[in-house]
Amino acid sequence: MINIQDIRDTARDMLAKGEVRAVIGYRRGSRGMLAEPAFITDPAQADDLVWDPTCFHNLSLYLVEDRKFLTHVRKTANAPIAIVTKGCDARSIVVLLQEHYFKREDVYIIGVSCEGTGVVDERKLAPHLNGFQASNAAFDGDDFVFITAEGEKRLPAREVMADRCLECRIPFPKEHNAVFGEDKTGRQLAEPFAALTRFETQGTAERWDFWSHHFDRCIRCFACRSVCPMCYCEECVVDSITFPVTTETTAEDKANRIRWIERSAVRSENITYLMTRAMHLAGRCTDCGECERACPVNVPIRLLNNKMEREAREQFGFEPGASIGGPSLVASFLDNDPGDFIR
Amino acid sequence: MPDNIYLPQLARVASIKEEVAGERSIKTFRVEPVDGKLFDHECGQCAMLSIFGRGESMISIASSPLIREYKQFSIMRVGRVSSAFHELEVGDVVGIRGPYGNSFPVDDWRGKNLYFIGGGCGLAPIWPVITTAVAQRASFKNITVFYGGRTSRDIMYRAELEKLRESVDVHLSIDKAEEGWEGYCGFVPAAVMDKDPVPDNAIAITCGPPIMIKFVIQNLNKLGFKDEQIYTTIENKMKCGLGKCGRCNVGKDYVCVMGPVYSWAVLKNLPEEY
Amino acid sequence: MEKILDKKQIDDWIAALTDWDVHTPVLEDGIWTYQPVNSAVRGAVRLDHPNTNQSPKGFAFPQREIFFSFEQIKGEPPRLTQILPKEQRHAVFGVRPCDGRGVPRMDKVFTDHVEDPYYNARRKNVAYVGLACNKPPSPNCFCLSVGGSPVSTDGLDVQMTDMGDRYFVKAITETGKALMSVAGSFFAEPAAADQKQVKQVHAEAVAYPQRKINDPDGAPAKLKASFNSPLWEEMARACIGCGICTFLCPTCHCFDINDEVQSKAPLKGQRVRTWDNCQFPDFTMHSSGHNPRENTGARLRQRVNHKFQYFHENFGMHQCTGCGRCISGCPVGIDIVTVVNKVTEHAG
Repeated sequence: MINIQDIRDTARDMLAKGEVRAVIGYRRGSRGMLAEPAFITDPAQADDLVWDPTCFHNLSLYLVEDRKFLTHVRKTANAPIAIVTKGCDARSIVVLLQEHYFKREDVYIIGVSCEGTGVVDERKLAPHLNGFQASNAAFDGDDFVFITAEGEKRLPAREVMADRCLECRIPFPKEHNAVFGEDKTGRQLAEPFAALTRFETQGTAERWDFWSHHFDRCIRCFACRSVCPMCYCEECVVDSITFPVTTETTAEDKANRIRWIERSAVRSENITYLMTRAMHLAGRCTDCGECERACPVNVPIRLLNNKMEREAREQFGFEPGASIGGPSLVASFLDNDPGDFIR
Repeated sequence: MPDNIYLPQLARVASIKEEVAGERSIKTFRVEPVDGKLFDHECGQCAMLSIFGRGESMISIASSPLIREYKQFSIMRVGRVSSAFHELEVGDVVGIRGPYGNSFPVDDWRGKNLYFIGGGCGLAPIWPVITTAVAQRASFKNITVFYGGRTSRDIMYRAELEKLRESVDVHLSIDKAEEGWEGYCGFVPAAVMDKDPVPDNAIAITCGPPIMIKFVIQNLNKLGFKDEQIYTTIENKMKCGLGKCGRCNVGKDYVCVMGPVYSWAVLKNLPEEY
Repeated sequence: MEKILDKKQIDDWIAALTDWDVHTPVLEDGIWTYQPVNSAVRGAVRLDHPNTNQSPKGFAFPQREIFFSFEQIKGEPPRLTQILPKEQRHAVFGVRPCDGRGVPRMDKVFTDHVEDPYYNARRKNVAYVGLACNKPPSPNCFCLSVGGSPVSTDGLDVQMTDMGDRYFVKAITETGKALMSVAGSFFAEPAAADQKQVKQVHAEAVAYPQRKINDPDGAPAKLKASFNSPLWEEMARACIGCGICTFLCPTCHCFDINDEVQSKAPLKGQRVRTWDNCQFPDFTMHSSGHNPRENTGARLRQRVNHKFQYFHENFGMHQCTGCGRCISGCPVGIDIVTVVNKVTEHAG
């Protein structure tokens, strides 16, 4: 059981001593029970930090934003930035480190363990609340406890936790500077890739119908890309418009930029967008589930990314973010890499 | 305007002149209608020019409204659509729709001294006012043109400016000294201060890079010009030209409708998002 | 024209609208969306939805609108063919009052200054059949704060009120009357008790607590005074720059125009309008590299100011109708009610 005050004290001390320049964490939002990202630079605000089942955001995204900002203003940081990090988020940070996005000493990882219960999936929770909005959510052993106008609602975490949490094998931030909470690595809830396996019991025709339906529905809001820490490319191949120009970008560069897809949110363009994104995340996606959570129209994006991650695991024995120090999958070639497809 | 505000009229490129060569090249195009007549316009208004398959660009109409046979546009090669323009040949057909935006209140300026202050490609949007005033020379008092380019090769409308000297004071400048250049050396705002324009019964019209406009206006204020006496035309990224797509929204205005021409008295109250 | 319609006969009314494509909210993939009604299936239309995931603005302003096609063989002038929307009438049922109020706000944008032929071609063929909110459909509703109400009829052609086993149906426009007249035999005259009950339902609806903008009337001036406030950057710190808030909003109308090319030689393609979004980082980026709205703070300020200040200065009303979708949809908790309240509270 984590005592939130320990996390707050850590944050306050480090800020007061100047050991870190900011703490990225979670605080209570203004929309009922939900937590929201917090960016704390003043030690006095450390008490705003919370830790509860609605802390599902992958805050490592903001490490990427921070790095981009520093580059844009051409400054270097005088101290590391601290970040409250779940097991899944820590894997994202490891991938970013493997890709040399920033250095290990630039970030101070305040690890928090979900202690095996994962975080809540709002869509799974909704039917349990009888139309009432929860004003509070808390961890309690293997349960989540919510408060609504009807009173306290206790639910076994496994009934309302996100699918990605059910399938997670390492619900603990292995990479950390400080860590709070017990390590429940190895706890068995669902098999890895369970949702994908279930999906694949359907034949090709049904699967194509399924995906066509969803590709028709996507409104191309780019939330899946915007919320993903690994989608850090300034120039995105599958965004025909956004192109970071500076005063030095030549007319040639702009004129020669290929429009791979159109802005129209129609099936053909959406297929290209979603599939290309999945391919570009192959071997890099840590299944934080944020893309699917953020999607306003409930496209089951995780399935696409999981497919590539299962390939990475089966073909190359590779798990993104599992261990710091090794090379990234797509940036390395090992002698014993499978080659039976080369004729 | 045609019934369908988004449907361009076809226009043929009648002439192309290379004004400025090199990296930030500028070409001047004159377009004629393929069928019928082109729309009338007033000084300061713009038009959306289309290269089908590439896109549209909002460009100031650089020719005087008094000229009916063609419309003139000077386009700097900066990006996707402007590069496509620079690949055009005489006889090619483009799309044109307009006129968009508001205009300079030239009629209110009769009997006044006019100071035109342009930099870089910013001469083009105010060129129609200059040429219209010169065509009706007797209606105006003193006319002075300040115009500067980065280098002598970046000066556009060179021949036309020389011809203007017959009826108008023309002061050209370049940013840094060059061999053979006898005019002022320095940035345009300083070139203006150098000649000490007098605010009495005067209007100042300026256009150029945002930073130049900022300092020109500061200097004009220092010289005693009131905000109502200073006019400029601003630039925003635009797509529809009709106050609907939202892209050029600045404060309560859509620049393509309530602008791009603004007196500083009005513009200073809008957020600096242009 | 005021009538009573038994809930069991809603299918009959809709089936009678043979000249119209009828759309009602359906729960699919976990979200409520407007879907066309197949009149052969009875019992499908229920109107028991909270609010739809996306607003009905797509009926007059779809995500994709083809303006015209162009064809050009080298050496000849291009041939342009205007492509106007098909003439087809649409009746949208279950429209909440906040979305209803969005309609005249969109109308203002697309008919102000000059008329948009594509919007108008669609708009004149859409009828909005509203459903009053007996209680707030969302925990993030705040229509009362922006001049609206759960029983507002602004923008609607018909207003329906749920009275348990029947609807109180009121025509608001001539179109609404026409929709009701088509199915005249299924409607009954309201009794005095019905009139009393609908007033009661409406009074209770309006009394239901909602989220609150603290000073909506003072917002335009206070927002103007707060243009340079550091609060904007602070409150936009978490913003990821996606399009959820704008695409789900009933009154956001920004769009892009692009040429989509199917073949280069001979040149064949279409000029197409698609939804765009002031929250995308490059929305205002000039070709020169200068971006007037360089950070999320400036872009959040733009959206909030446009809804509560700029639109108000031009048309005397807030553009936001309090539907709460941007609040519920934002993946990182940016909350327009909190933002407006905080900024106006600290206004200099």
